[in-house]
Amino acid sequence: MVQAGSKKSSVSKINTKAGISSLIIFVVLLLAWIAGFSSRLFAVIRFESIIHEFDPWFNYRATAYMVKHGFYNFLNWFDERAWYPLGRIVGGTVYPGLMLTSGSIHYILHLLHINVHIRDVCVFLAPVFSGLTAISTYFLTKELWSAGAGLFAACFIAIVPGYISRSVAGSYDNEGIAIFALQFTYFLWIKSVKTGSVFWAVAASLSYFYMVSAWGGYVFIINLIPLHVFVLLLMGRYSNRLFTSYTTFYILGLIFSMQIPFVGFQPIRTSEHMAAGGVFALLFAVGVLKYMQSMMSKSEFKSLVVFGGLISAAVVFLGVVLLTYAGYVAPWSGRFYSLWDTGYAKIHIPIIASVSEHQPTTWFSFFFDLHILVATFPAGLWYTIKNINDERVFVVLYALSAVYFAGVMVRLMLTLTPVVCILSGIAFSGLLELFLREDDSSRGEDSEEEEQSTPSKRLYDKAGKVPKMKHEQSRDTDNIGPNLRSIVTVVILLLLMLFAVHCTWVTSNAYSSPSIVLASYGSDGTRQILDDFREAYFWLSQNTADDARIMSWWDYGYQIAGMANRTTLVDNNTWNNSHIALVGKAMSSNESAAYEIMTALDVDYVLVIFGGVIGYSGDDINKFLWMVRIAEGEHPKDIRESDYFTEHGEFRVDAEGSPTLLNCLMYKLSYYRFGELKLDYRSPAGFDRTRNAVIGHKDFQLTYLEEAYTTEHWLVRVYRVKKPDEFNRPRIPIANRIVKSSNYITKKNIKRKKGTIKNKPLVVKGKRLSSKQ
Amino acid sequence: MKHLYLLLFFALLIVLNVTGQQKRQSHNMAERVQQLTDMANKRAVLRFNANRFKDFVKSTPRNYSVVIMFTAMAPQRQCQVCRHASDEFTIVANSFRYSQAYSNKLYFAVVDFDEGSDVFQMLRLNTAPVFIHFPPKGKPKTADTMDIQRIGFAAETIAKWIHERTDIQIRVFRPPNYSGTFALIILFGIVAAFLYLRRNNLEFLYNKTMWGMGALFFCFAMTSGQMWNHIRGPPFIHKNQNGQIAYIHGSSQGQFVFETYIVMFLNAAVVLGIILLTESARGKGDPKRRKIFAIVGLILLSVFFSLLLSVFRTKTQGYPYSFLFK
Repeated sequence: MVQAGSKKSSVSKINTKAGISSLIIFVVLLLAWIAGFSSRLFAVIRFESIIHEFDPWFNYRATAYMVKHGFYNFLNWFDERAWYPLGRIVGGTVYPGLMLTSGSIHYILHLLHINVHIRDVCVFLAPVFSGLTAISTYFLTKELWSAGAGLFAACFIAIVPGYISRSVAGSYDNEGIAIFALQFTYFLWIKSVKTGSVFWAVAASLSYFYMVSAWGGYVFIINLIPLHVFVLLLMGRYSNRLFTSYTTFYILGLIFSMQIPFVGFQPIRTSEHMAAGGVFALLFAVGVLKYMQSMMSKSEFKSLVVFGGLISAAVVFLGVVLLTYAGYVAPWSGRFYSLWDTGYAKIHIPIIASVSEHQPTTWFSFFFDLHILVATFPAGLWYTIKNINDERVFVVLYALSAVYFAGVMVRLMLTLTPVVCILSGIAFSGLLELFLREDDSSRGEDSEEEEQSTPSKRLYDKAGKVPKMKHEQSRDTDNIGPNLRSIVTVVILLLLMLFAVHCTWVTSNAYSSPSIVLASYGSDGTRQILDDFREAYFWLSQNTADDARIMSWWDYGYQIAGMANRTTLVDNNTWNNSHIALVGKAMSSNESAAYEIMTALDVDYVLVIFGGVIGYSGDDINKFLWMVRIAEGEHPKDIRESDYFTEHGEFRVDAEGSPTLLNCLMYKLSYYRFGELKLDYRSPAGFDRTRNAVIGHKDFQLTYLEEAYTTEHWLVRVYRVKKPDEFNRPRIPIANRIVKSSNYITKKNIKRKKGTIKNKPLVVKGKRLSSKQ
Repeated sequence: MKHLYLLLFFALLIVLNVTGQQKRQSHNMAERVQQLTDMANKRAVLRFNANRFKDFVKSTPRNYSVVIMFTAMAPQRQCQVCRHASDEFTIVANSFRYSQAYSNKLYFAVVDFDEGSDVFQMLRLNTAPVFIHFPPKGKPKTADTMDIQRIGFAAETIAKWIHERTDIQIRVFRPPNYSGTFALIILFGIVAAFLYLRRNNLEFLYNKTMWGMGALFFCFAMTSGQMWNHIRGPPFIHKNQNGQIAYIHGSSQGQFVFETYIVMFLNAAVVLGIILLTESARGKGDPKRRKIFAIVGLILLSVFFSLLLSVFRTKTQGYPYSFLFK
């Protein structure tokens, strides 16, 4: 690794040494970029270049819209294909940074006449940005510790699964670019605290602006930086550098962040942002006091501090409380509140609790995502605390807050990963620097050669220091011994190698599934691709009316809009709980009650995901209890969760299941005609592979819906909602469908014709001419 | 004539009597409601014995619901659950009593087994606690008995259940738990007093070792999943039917409390190993001691990390890598 701060004894030596070290840095960063990029390509190589999962489909759709219609039309875009009949104002409810980034890359490439489809830009955006993240992590760590630690950190973050999970190719989501913005903002902030220059502070706020435009996680920055400033003040580390950088950053960052339509006035009106303002005021107060101190006597100053401090603190606190009560400042939103009161979401907001990303984290997940780093980063933290200075306070606070948040929510592992990489980089580079350096100097040839080749210049350097070092080093060599040192080095390298293979294994096995295309492996290792989702969505796009409304659970809203281009009722942007509850209620009611809801919502088709044939566990029946819970939250009289359990409190789909469950719409749509299906010789007909049970309700007909399409492996089933004139009518054989003509013609019809003349002779075919009397 | 008078008199008597009876009955209900309201004004949860139960719940014309907790609070019954259930029930009753939705449509009552065992017999109850809602009309249905086996008896669930049964929404207002606040104030007080006593010697605040230890402990606690334990409340260890004790949860989705302690210890040992290694190579102090430090550090790092890896391996299906041990 690169040795930071090594002594150079001649100009030429400086040049070559600096040249070599910067070459090494360049090469390592480049390799980290390439390694990070290529390890994110598993999904593309195994499947194809497609957008993954759910949210990325919306981002892709929005990006495609922006590229086609221009930025301003995108900002004003009212999407009537989502949340029917409400619609969604996309421009004002989205963080546009992601779309802008890929849109501008697409634009530049097209200027250069490189014709790339916007989809490919979107697919490969996150892997490309992972390289940028590695570079900004290098710079941040270099500011905090040393260049060697920086290189370690850059290599770690390039391949660590905790970050790869959100940035594989095709996972076109905000987090992919946001982690880069996060790291870069932190780097610029540290730089500005160190130098106290307005330039770096402005750069930090610009980078913060990019972060705000990209991800809602910017709140983490705007709370962490004030926390840093606050702790520095507590530690008595106030300085003019701090004052300059924070005030510049806060004001500019505030104004910039309010330019994003989705953020709007939140930075001055919500509790999440209040801490930053409070620290801003506090910093001024401290600045004023410092100034006063130079002009007053000690006792006067002391009383001023005590009284002034108490009064101003009380005023600020009361002010915030009053503003909150008066409604000018919104209290904490549910998602943030659930971070502090960990039981909050479970009781009050089922829709937050239902998302698997919002669950707490087991130690297994920590180890799975970070491997050796989870065990080594505390060592880095230890040394950072031991050698504390202004900027290292920041990384300590970052580590402690991020590790707490990651413990509360799996999803926030993403914010923990960068700091774990930084601190592990510090730990490993500290270790290897010592062990490798002594190894070099024990031979002592290189350094002595250096000294001999330039004896004249050495005199100008700190002459006294070199012999001392030599003396010390020769003693060290005797102490630990080269064998032990090389063993330690080998063990550490082995551990790092284990880390690398672990990262590759996890990326390949856990994080590289597009979840739109499923793969199953036969006993002989052959791979079978299950492409049912796209099959169903393509069917919808080809066989339904352009304005058809499709009801499905919210998970599939974005995919239906993105791939089938049809109107959906609810989607993954879960902003309207009551609308989702209505869909949940329709799914969990019986057919006739559901039909009422569906007619009220103009539903034309219903789409359900059913995994019973192939044993796919993420299907709608397994998610069904959440639908019931969310529906119960809004319609407690009609839907009761207890009705869906057996008497023993079990959720069963077989014959012992509760009658409410066996007759609800979701059950019927999932298992319609399934009772006739025999999957293999051993199992009976109607055997559900996901839940390992024979279904309880086999022979039933649908009254209000009819099956429209079922995909090859029954994974997606589409039903058409009948019009009111279609059901409950006896079927008439075709032979009887001809309307019998009769000779009788009512006079009413004739009379109602306009402009009849009285006593006009009527000519009717087959009748004698007669005049009316 | 006399006959007529007599007849008239009787007729009048009958009429009077009938109207009187009607009056008494309606009066009776109003009276009862009045009585109940008076009682409810004194305390939110009424105490019923067998007679009162008959008077207020069994008598037919009613225009109010009664939610009754059947319990056995006497110490000799040794019903620990009843005590918790009673606390929660009282919270709901008090929330209703002091809420804006308070009306004479709903009353909360409690029947203790030792005061009204007749009632228990009448309703064929042989467990406690049981929550039953008595609607204004008709007999309680199955859904009028709260299923505490499944949903528990937290105040919120009781309120929700009452809302389902009676349409009266009760916002549960828990009396703030002052013990937490009190403990916090005492803690602050102790810290402040401690700082004040040592105001001339505040060097320990700058003790980086102490702060470092604290930060490290926090990290270990978080990365070993203590927050998960706090939220999910898993068992300490698992004992299966054969009496074997499992310390490690078999699947990657769960964990036991003891398991997290093991992981915490392993993590800490690895970190200690790294620190020892670094300190030994730093080059200060007795050479022999440093050599021992280096060896100990190396062993800690490699052995405990491979232990950690093998614990991880047992929880992951098909994980191919291991170090030192399988």
